[in-house]
Amino acid sequence: MPLSSLTFTVLTLPVLLLLYYCIPEKGKQWYLLAGSLVIYGWGSPVRVLYPAAFLFFDFGVGLLLERHARKRTLCTVLLALSAVTQTAAMALIRYAAFLNGRTFFPFGIAVYSLQGLAYLIGVYRKRHPAAVRIQDLALYLFLFPVLYAGPLMNYVEFSEQLGKRRTNIIGLSEGLGIFIRGLAEKVILADTFGFLFRELRQTPTGSMSMLTAWLTTIAFSLYLYFELMGYAEMARGIGKCFGFELPRNFSHPFFCPGITAFMQSWNITVLLWFQTNFRHFLLGGAQKKWQSYAGQVLTWVLIGAWYGMRLQFLLWGLCIGLLLVFEQTVLERYIRRHYIFGVLYALITVQFSWVLFYTGSLGEAGQYWRAMLGFGAGLADRSGIYFLTSYAAILLLGLYTATDLFRNITERLATTRVGQGMQILTPVIHAGLLIFCLGSMLYTDREPMLWLLL
Amino acid sequence: MKHFVHHAMLIVVGAVWIAVIAASMHDLSPYFPKPTAATLASGAWTQQLESTLREHMGFRDSLFRLKSRTDLFVGEKMVQGVYVTSDKLLEKQSEPAADAKVLAEPVNTFYGANALPTYLVLIPSAAEIYESDLPANAVSADQESLIRGVYDSAVSGIRCVDARGVLSSRKDSYIYYRTDTHCTGYAGYYLYQAAIQKMGFTPIPYNRFVITHLTTEFRGDLYRRTLCDTVRPDVLDRYGNEAGVHITGVQAVYQDGTTEDRGTQLSAPAALTSEDPYRYYLGTPCMKLTVTTDADNGKRLLLYKDDFADCIVPFLVQHYSEVCIVDLTQTGEAFAEAADPQDYTQVLFLSSIRRWQELWE
Repeated sequence: MPLSSLTFTVLTLPVLLLLYYCIPEKGKQWYLLAGSLVIYGWGSPVRVLYPAAFLFFDFGVGLLLERHARKRTLCTVLLALSAVTQTAAMALIRYAAFLNGRTFFPFGIAVYSLQGLAYLIGVYRKRHPAAVRIQDLALYLFLFPVLYAGPLMNYVEFSEQLGKRRTNIIGLSEGLGIFIRGLAEKVILADTFGFLFRELRQTPTGSMSMLTAWLTTIAFSLYLYFELMGYAEMARGIGKCFGFELPRNFSHPFFCPGITAFMQSWNITVLLWFQTNFRHFLLGGAQKKWQSYAGQVLTWVLIGAWYGMRLQFLLWGLCIGLLLVFEQTVLERYIRRHYIFGVLYALITVQFSWVLFYTGSLGEAGQYWRAMLGFGAGLADRSGIYFLTSYAAILLLGLYTATDLFRNITERLATTRVGQGMQILTPVIHAGLLIFCLGSMLYTDREPMLWLLL
Repeated sequence: MKHFVHHAMLIVVGAVWIAVIAASMHDLSPYFPKPTAATLASGAWTQQLESTLREHMGFRDSLFRLKSRTDLFVGEKMVQGVYVTSDKLLEKQSEPAADAKVLAEPVNTFYGANALPTYLVLIPSAAEIYESDLPANAVSADQESLIRGVYDSAVSGIRCVDARGVLSSRKDSYIYYRTDTHCTGYAGYYLYQAAIQKMGFTPIPYNRFVITHLTTEFRGDLYRRTLCDTVRPDVLDRYGNEAGVHITGVQAVYQDGTTEDRGTQLSAPAALTSEDPYRYYLGTPCMKLTVTTDADNGKRLLLYKDDFADCIVPFLVQHYSEVCIVDLTQTGEAFAEAADPQDYTQVLFLSSIRRWQELWE
């Protein structure tokens, strides 16, 4: 059940929250787990079997790793086997889903596979004990809002919160606010940019102008950003309503100076996972500079593979990795001194890289790049002009809210008297936003959830 | 202050939720899908529930209008694939995924297998005829070249009717509904005239028909998709010819095999008060509709059609003792199995190019 569906927003969430606040404290964890499984299995109950198998596997391996903690070789072999098994299972299932039109695709697999691996690595590295109660691990792996697009958490943070978390009116109110803002990002912005992207993609690549190629890529990047950001924020909001403090997954990446800064603000918890559990742990930290760079490139190739099982995703990861190395070795000082250059460099380069995400082949990507560089069918065509004039307002709004200019203004405003006075309007603004979101959700030409595409 | 804001937030957001849920409970109850073990396991029930909510949720129309009007206000010119202009709603047409040869294949195969006098009429959409009325720089598929391509790919024995030419020459008249995708009865007459001439008959003169305005408040499928009420409602006309042939029987066969005797009534007056008044012309859609008349010329027509043909059928039946109407949208590729073509003297394929694309791509 997608978080942005009417079934969830109108029927499930209010009932889920109401019952959660009515039942005694002891039963809340079981209630959340049961709710997560129902939502996970919504529409295809058989789907629950895969994560169930996954859960028992991780729980058992975690206990074994703890019991034989002193036998490091055995533990290393056990961890390596588990990691290979899980990664292979995830890769095979996603690849089969990609080939067979996603008839059986246990959604959230990209999220709970990483969480499961992080848990096992944590036990192996003695960062935290193995879970004693299977329901704790189950909730860590399958807490429903997180499954769609993160954010990822490590088990230490989660288990600490599990015992201590308290729910109150302030948390519930803040959580609802975050959820509504995330829902707006998804159904108002992401869906509009998704629609715009889909319309622009109908332009034959042979007759594509520079304007249309750039609009397509900008629409896609805004769609991707607001889709992932919207789901992550909805998850954070729902988590807060249930007493969990989930981390932010995005931090206004547009207008960041340089690709390093851009990528550090993009899908933050995923990058952190790969850096902690792959680059620093598996590659063991770098002794020499070239090893560090090689590790960085390899990490980004894997991040690309995590996004999707296609050659283009791997190439995207490779490109980003190489660009980061280039930036750190050649451009870093220059970017530090020339902020605007850094911003433009990151914006333009990242737009070029997204072409690999949405095109079907390298040949097609090449045609897009050619058109973006001005070697396509002229500077502008009718459809490009039409879409630019029709969607100028929403494109500007999207670009603005994706930058930290928006955050800076809202934060500064909050410290002023006027801003504090305006806080009184917060409930009305959120109610209005919720009403507008419900209207947007009635459109039938909405984009499918991105995780189905990745 | 902070506490007040949090309490107010819960009260205001909660009030929105309660209002929507309460109204939905009332509006949804007649449509609520009944879950069964099979639909629950297959996921069909959850999809039905979502689409039912989308259609019948409390305050549905108000919420939808809020969204669509805001979109139009900030510069968008299209709502759910429909261009909104000052005086009409025009559906955006997609570029064909298949080439013209593929689209001509079904009719060529049929002609090859049956060798009957076969005619093909492909009707363009309003956006093709009123391209100049689209918002500035808006694009819609070039249906003219597509239709020409299909006609050129049809084997030589198949005779094609230039519906686009007929409609273009009358573009200043009321040939398409303003709020619906279909052609008006007026356009239906001229399409009938062009087709029946090609089929060897003399068309009945226009002035022989008595025109009755069935409703002047017809809001069609494009209105239902956009809920845009800035465009005037349409007029739905009935073309009657009391001096012409009379219908002696109408038999409907539905997709599930059930049959219905509709007496001597081709049209369905009850549809005028339903959600889709365009169904007035042929009633509830069915897989096959057999119409017999008191014409004693022994001519029998097999008509393969989509819903664009509905307003043309009342004119066509004037020339035949029997017309068998097969709905291509219900039969799909198995259309030739719905009736034995050898029982008929002529075969007419009559469809909108948009539906034709959807069917054979």
